[in-house]
Amino acid sequence: MNDDALLRVHLSAGYSTRATLSRIHFELQQGEVLGLVGSSGAGKSTLVLSLLGLLPWRGGRVTGEVLLGGRNLLELSEKQLRSIRGREIALIPQSPMTALNASISLRRHFEEAWNAHEKRGRAALEERVRGLMAESQLPSDPEFLRRRPREISVGQAQRVLIALALLHRPALIIADEPTSALDPVTQSQIVTLLRSLNRTHGMTLLYISHDLISVIQLCDRVAVLHQGAIVENLPVGQLGEARHPASLALLNALPVSPETLLRFRDNAVADALPQTLDYLHR
Amino acid sequence: MRLRYPILWLLLGLFVAASVIVSMPGAGYARQDRDATLAPASASHPAGTDALGRDRLVRVAAAFLLSLAGSVIASALTTVAAAGVGTLAAFGRASMGWSSMVVCDVFLALPWMFLLMMVRSALPLTASPARSATITFLVLAALGWPASARAVYHGALQLKSSDWMLYARAAGLDRAGIVRHVIPSLFHLLVPQFLITIPAFVMAEANLGALGLGVGEPLPSWGGMLFELNNSPMLMQTRWVYFPVALLVVVLLLLEGVAVEA
Repeated sequence: MNDDALLRVHLSAGYSTRATLSRIHFELQQGEVLGLVGSSGAGKSTLVLSLLGLLPWRGGRVTGEVLLGGRNLLELSEKQLRSIRGREIALIPQSPMTALNASISLRRHFEEAWNAHEKRGRAALEERVRGLMAESQLPSDPEFLRRRPREISVGQAQRVLIALALLHRPALIIADEPTSALDPVTQSQIVTLLRSLNRTHGMTLLYISHDLISVIQLCDRVAVLHQGAIVENLPVGQLGEARHPASLALLNALPVSPETLLRFRDNAVADALPQTLDYLHR
Repeated sequence: MRLRYPILWLLLGLFVAASVIVSMPGAGYARQDRDATLAPASASHPAGTDALGRDRLVRVAAAFLLSLAGSVIASALTTVAAAGVGTLAAFGRASMGWSSMVVCDVFLALPWMFLLMMVRSALPLTASPARSATITFLVLAALGWPASARAVYHGALQLKSSDWMLYARAAGLDRAGIVRHVIPSLFHLLVPQFLITIPAFVMAEANLGALGLGVGEPLPSWGGMLFELNNSPMLMQTRWVYFPVALLVVVLLLLEGVAVEA
């Protein structure tokens, strides 16, 4: 356990009738990518809302602490929380199409998100957006930004949401199943994009997913969320040592072993290709 | 969608034609031609005259303009009121939400034909025609908002719990930012309410007028002209007495078409 963890979480949360998360505990180091895996209903979305202090908006309550750089977010006022959301912790939401407001242009989305935390005006925003468009591999022409959300593809919408999350260069990004609404090709592009953002900017990422394959491709450590509790928390290289039935069920659902998947990580494909060919020719 | 423009053009055409007819020299909705009462169609009166010798075409045109203007203004008032009540109820405290919906329910349950009759009979009988017209449409606006407020409330509730609203909060938008985010979507909610209320008010005014409770004579109104149809001997004299009803049906169809196609 490291003392200078960026995020230290210790919480229980639930809605009026039932507890959804019980004594969740995990830490995130600066620059680390933690994958949080769990089947549907394990409490992933509740956890996301708890970390952002948004659970009350959905009628829930949280107890415990969410320490971001030493401050307990759960003790802050709504106003203080507001100044942290989007600026220090950003969210990449689950369903790109419904997360964007269908009535306003993409540019307006960037303007509103910018004005929420920035006093600097249009010119600074224009420059930042230009950079973000390139970084998230989106079209850079002004015409694209004039479009409404329904006029772009789902993959583009997810990239727009990634660009919006990066806007204020937050210390921590929470990605809530960012690939679940996408086709396999776009999925792997988004995972590659997130990985390169982590490698080039040292972006700290909490990656929440039910898809263990993308987690293995992307994360340094994996935590398994099962029925509202974290039952496993291992470096991705040691997934083979997982013992909890829920973790084993997830591992068993993989088409190949986690070691094989790990071998194809990063530039591993290029590195692994000769080995694979060797193996096939043997 | 394909019918949107033809309908708008037809309505605009009717509006222009009515304006031209009303502003022609010698045309006056109250002018009486005492030599030709209940006359059939002729060169000087293309749609005949009523029992008092007033040109029917001019009166129908004036009634069309009056009822359209009155209904549009009343509908705008009612939509603004509904927008205020609906959004406050949706975005305010939960108790405010249900209490305003109870008020709406009570309003909707009121026997409002009787209420209109009470309000109308409370007015002095000597109320000037212009005043009676103003009051008729104001009363319609005052009683019409709860149905729209309900629709706006439910739409706004959906907006409030939408993913993008939660995401806007996650992005740190303040209250003003969120309001700016919501307004364009509210607009999508309000325009149909506004459009669908217009034909409802045209119809309501015609009903009231047919009971003799609407716009006062000599101002022409749909209702006042439908009143003529009570008089069966007159129906035998000329078929042109059906002209206002026929045009009313066409106008209502067009107005509802606008609301549906928008």
